[in-house]
Amino acid sequence: MPEDKKEIVGYRQQPGKLDFTRPGSGGSSPNSEKRDPSMIPQSQGGELDQPWGPHRHDDLVTGRIIGKRTPLIDSRWKVTGQAVYGDDVRLPGEIIGRLVRSDRHYAKVLSIDMTDVESIPGVLATATGIDAPSAFGVLPVTKDEHAMALEKVRHIGDIVACVAAEDEETARLASAAVRIEYQDLEPIFDMRDGLKDSPDPIHDRDIYHIGESNVQKRVFQRFGRISDLKNSIASYENEWTFKGVNHGFTEPHAVVAHWDPRGRLTLYTPQQVPHYVHRALADVLDIPMHQINVHRTYVGGGFGGKSDPFPHEMCAAILARKSGRPVRITFDREEVFWTNRGRHPSRISMAIHADKEGRFSGIETDALIDGGGFASFGHVTTYYNGVLHTAPYEIGAFHYTGARVWTNKPASGAMRGHGAVNSRCAVEVGIDHISEELGVDPIDLRLANLLPPHSATITGFRVTSIGMRECLERVRKESGWDKKFRKMPLGKGIGVGCGFFISGSGLPIHWDPNKFPHATVHLKIDMDGGVTIHTGAADIGQGSDTVVGQAVAEVLGLPMDMIRIRSKESDTSPVDLGSYSSRVTFMNANAAVSAAMEVRSELIEAASLITGVEASCLVLGDRRIFNKKDPAVGVSYLQALHKAQEDRGALIASGSYRTPPMGKMHKGAAAGLAPAYSFSAYVAEVDVDIETGRIKVEKVWAAHDCGKALNPLSVEGQIIGSCHMGLGQVISEEMKYGRTGNLLNPDLLGYKIPTVHEMPEVVPIIVESNDPEGPFGAKEAGEGPLLPILPAVCNAVYDAIGVRTNELPLTPDRLYRSIEKACKQQGIKDPRDLPNPSLEQTPLSDILIRRAKDHAKRDRERRLNPNPDAYYNGQLFNRHDTGPPEENDPDWTVQVLPDQEYLENPKLAGSAWLHKERRHMEGVE
Amino acid sequence: MASHPLPLAGNPPVEVWTASVNGKQVQTIIKNYDVLLDVLRDGIGSLGTKRGCDMGTCGCCTVLIDGKPRLSCMTLALEAKDRQVTTVEGLSDGHHLHPIQEMFAECGGSQCGFCTPGFLVTSAALLETNPTPTRQEAMDAIEGNLCRCTGYQQIVDSIMSASKILSEGIQNKPITEPASDPDPGFGG
Repeated sequence: MPEDKKEIVGYRQQPGKLDFTRPGSGGSSPNSEKRDPSMIPQSQGGELDQPWGPHRHDDLVTGRIIGKRTPLIDSRWKVTGQAVYGDDVRLPGEIIGRLVRSDRHYAKVLSIDMTDVESIPGVLATATGIDAPSAFGVLPVTKDEHAMALEKVRHIGDIVACVAAEDEETARLASAAVRIEYQDLEPIFDMRDGLKDSPDPIHDRDIYHIGESNVQKRVFQRFGRISDLKNSIASYENEWTFKGVNHGFTEPHAVVAHWDPRGRLTLYTPQQVPHYVHRALADVLDIPMHQINVHRTYVGGGFGGKSDPFPHEMCAAILARKSGRPVRITFDREEVFWTNRGRHPSRISMAIHADKEGRFSGIETDALIDGGGFASFGHVTTYYNGVLHTAPYEIGAFHYTGARVWTNKPASGAMRGHGAVNSRCAVEVGIDHISEELGVDPIDLRLANLLPPHSATITGFRVTSIGMRECLERVRKESGWDKKFRKMPLGKGIGVGCGFFISGSGLPIHWDPNKFPHATVHLKIDMDGGVTIHTGAADIGQGSDTVVGQAVAEVLGLPMDMIRIRSKESDTSPVDLGSYSSRVTFMNANAAVSAAMEVRSELIEAASLITGVEASCLVLGDRRIFNKKDPAVGVSYLQALHKAQEDRGALIASGSYRTPPMGKMHKGAAAGLAPAYSFSAYVAEVDVDIETGRIKVEKVWAAHDCGKALNPLSVEGQIIGSCHMGLGQVISEEMKYGRTGNLLNPDLLGYKIPTVHEMPEVVPIIVESNDPEGPFGAKEAGEGPLLPILPAVCNAVYDAIGVRTNELPLTPDRLYRSIEKACKQQGIKDPRDLPNPSLEQTPLSDILIRRAKDHAKRDRERRLNPNPDAYYNGQLFNRHDTGPPEENDPDWTVQVLPDQEYLENPKLAGSAWLHKERRHMEGVE
Repeated sequence: MASHPLPLAGNPPVEVWTASVNGKQVQTIIKNYDVLLDVLRDGIGSLGTKRGCDMGTCGCCTVLIDGKPRLSCMTLALEAKDRQVTTVEGLSDGHHLHPIQEMFAECGGSQCGFCTPGFLVTSAALLETNPTPTRQEAMDAIEGNLCRCTGYQQIVDSIMSASKILSEGIQNKPITEPASDPDPGFGG
C-alpha cells in the first residue's frame, strides 16, 4: 500500500487524512450498511431465532449493535493512561488533606488539642466533628455517620479530625501532631456479644433502640405451611461461619473538593452513587443541593465499596471551605480497609428439609451478621440474607430470622452479591447434602424443583423470565457432569451450585412520594447528527456508559462513533440512583430506549413527510430510514434529522424508567423485590491435595441467565470477574481480626486476592431468557454470577475428598483441620485412605427425572404463552390457588413477628427478638 | 492508628533528577528519599501510572526501567536516575496504539482500567522479549499484577491477540468500528 494511502487508525486520527463523510449519511463510514437479517428478530420478519418468544422491543431492533461484542467506549482512555481517576484530579492551588484516625477500638473523645498543629508552617485548615454535626448515612432510616467523630470513636480507624496543608508531608506531620484525649469504653468484637445488653451501646437510637443491645436490625419471617416444615425424609442442618471480605478494588478512595469563586462546591470523587453523596453533602454542609456539583471521576473498581456517602468526602469539602483552596484527600491501602463496607462476617444456621417426593418442604435460616461500627446498607443486608434464597426453588415453608449487630470494627456494607452470597452458599451446599441422602443426582434434584416462568415466590416476588433450567442443562452437558460426578478418584471432584439475584431494586432507597423515576436519560441531537446522552448512571468499569450508548445506537440505527456520553456531572446529568443492586443495565437502558423511541418517531415522521410513505411502513437501518416493503425508497438519517429540526433546532428527548407496583404488603415485603431476577448455575472442577488441604480450582463452567446479552464481551467479563471475586472468598480472602480485635491484614499482602495463577479456566455460558421488561430482554449480569462459585467449589471439594465444610475461606490449614477431623471420626490414620464419595441412585431418582421433564414442558408452554395462568409458590405442594395461598389455606402462614412459642427457644440471631424496643418498655413514653 | 513520623526536620536533601521518561529528557528536583512513583505522578505529571497499595503488592504502579518492569512505588527515584523510564503514556507512538493497548481495549482486558497501565507495560515488556508467548508464559509475566475486575482471562486473551498481531506483522487494525466518545471528564 503506498504510504499516503495507508490507513490511519488509532486514537489520534489525523485530520484531513480520513475520508470525509459523504453528505447526507452521517457517521465516519461513507456507505450505509444493509440491514443484517440475522440480527433482526423473527417477529419482525428477520432471521434471529426467538426460542423464548417475541419481545416488546423487537420493532426497535435495527440490527446495529445489540448483541455484538462491543469494547467499552471509554477503553481507549483507559489503555492510554488518560482516564482521570480520583487521585488524578489536580487543580491549581490544591492542598493535601489528611485524616486523623482513632487508635482506640471504642472510646469517648474527651478533648482534641490542635495547638501543636496550628504552629506548623504550611498547615492551612483543621476541622473536627463539631464543624459538621449533621448525621448522614446511605439509608435515610439509619443515618448514623458523621464527617468526624462527635462524641465517641467506634473502631480503630474511625475519623476524629482532619487537617489540610500545603503538601503531603506537612499534612502527615500535622495529623500526627493532633493530641486527642480518650476515655476507653468496653469494646465488642464478637458479633454474638452484640446481641446482649451493653452498658454502652455503640449507637443510641433513642426510643427505637432495641433493648440496651447492639442489635441494629432484626428480621423475623415465616411463610408457607410451617406445620409441614420438618415433614422430611432428608435434612441438612449446619452452622456456618463466614469471614468478612473486602472489595479489594485497586483504586484507593480519593476525593477532591473545590469551592468555586461563586461559592459553589464541586466534589470530584470516584463514586458508584454520586446522587447520595450529593444529598449527604447538602445535609452535612448545610447548603442547598443546587449549590453542589458532584463530579464522578473514573472509578477504579467499586463492587459496592464506593456506594456509601463517605466521611472523607465530607471532610474534604469542609477543609476546602475553611482553607479556600481545593483539597485532595487520597487514602493509602490501610485506610481502605478501615473504611471497609465489605461483605458482612456472618454466622448462618441453615436447615433444609426434603420430603419423600424430593421436594423442599422447608428452609429454616438464622443469620447473624456483623455490621461493624455503622449501619451502612445493613438494614437491607439483614433482609437479603433470608429473602434472596426463596428462589429459584419452589419451597413448602420458609422461616428466616436475621439480625445485624454493631461491633467495634470497620463497618460492613454492600458488596457484589449483596447479602445473598453467604446464605446462598449454605443453601446450595445443603441441597448437595440432601441429594446425597436421597440418593439422587444434585442436578436432577434441582431440575425437579424449579419455579416456572411468570410465577410468584413464597415471599411474593414476581419471577418473570427464568433461565435456571437451561443454565443447569448447559453446565451439565458442557462439563461432562454425568461422566464425572462421584466417579472421579479421591482428591479430584466436581460440584454444582446455583444462584439467584435481583436485577434492580423495586423500591429505591430514597423512597419518595413524588414518584420520581428510578432512572432518567436525556438525549440531545443537533444538526451534526451525533447523539449526546446525558445519564447519571455511574460507569464503574462494568460498562454502563457503553450499554446505554448501545441501546440508543440500536434504536436510532447509528454507529457507536456517533454516540457520546455525558454521565459524570450532577450539573448536567439527570438524577440517577447509582450503580448498585444490579440496576443500571435494566433501568438505564430501559430509560435510554424510551428516550430514543421519542426521537425515532420524530425521525420517522419527518421521513414520512419527505417520502410520502406512511409512517407505519418506515423502518430504521444503518443511518437510513426506508420503506420496509421497498427499501429503495427512503431518506438518510441526516435528511430526516434536518427535516425534524425545522423551526425548532436540536431534538431533545427524555426517557425514564420506574418499576411497576409489585409484591406483597407485609413488613419488609419490598426487600428483594425486583422487576426481574437473574439466575446462574456453575459447575466447578477441583483438585484437592488431601495431605495438605490445598485446593486448586481447575475449571469452571459458568452459565448465567442475563436475559439478553446486550454486549456479550462485557457479560463474559462480568461472569469471569465474578468467578474471580467469589473464588477469593472461598479459597483465600478474609479480614482477619486478632483476639484483641485488631485487624491483622489491612493490606494486599496479608489479604489474599487470587492472582492469575489461582484462577481456573472459566467457560462462560450465556443463557438468554428474554425478560419481558428488560431492555431488549436484558437482565443483570454483574452480581448474580458471583453467587454460585462458592457452593460449587465447596461441593466439588466434598466430591473430591468426602469432607463437608462449614467455614470459609477454605484455606489449606482450615481444610486440613477438617480432613484430620474426618480421619479421626472414621478411625483412619492416613488421609489418603479416606473413602471417596459415591452415588447409588434410588428409585426417587426416576421420579425426579420424570418430574423435571414434565416441568420443562410446562415451563416452555408458560414462557411462550402471553397470558399464562397465575402460578404461586405452593403448586408443587398440591395447592392450586388463583391467588396467594395464604388467602385460601388457613395453615399457610405469612408472619413477620415472632410468637411466644418461638421466643421460648430462639436461635442465635432470633434471640435479638428477646429484647423490647425502648418505646415498648414500661415507663417509656 | 499509628501516625507516620517522617524525616521532616530541617531541609531534606534535594537533588536534580534527570531521566528519559517516555523518550523525553526530563529534569526535576527531588528529595533523595522520593520514590519513582511520586516523582512520576507529582513531579512530572505522568498520571497514567497508578498508586494502588504503596507496598509492591498490586502492580498498578509498574513502569519499565530500561525495558524491564519495575514497581515504581518500591523504587527510589535515584535508582532510575539517567535511565530510560517508560510508562503507559509512552507505549503509543502517538498515531497508533501499541497492539497491546488496542487489544486490551478490544478484548475486554480493561474493565475499570485502574490496574490496566501496570498490566500494559508488563505485557509490552513481555512481548518485547518474547513476541510469541504461550498462555502460560503470559500468565507468568503478569503474576505480580492484581486485577479485581476481569479475572485475568480476558487480559491473557488480550496479550495473546496482541502477540498474534505483532508476530504476523498485521497493521494494528481495530476489530470493530471506532469507539464513541465517553465523557472525558476532568482534564480529558
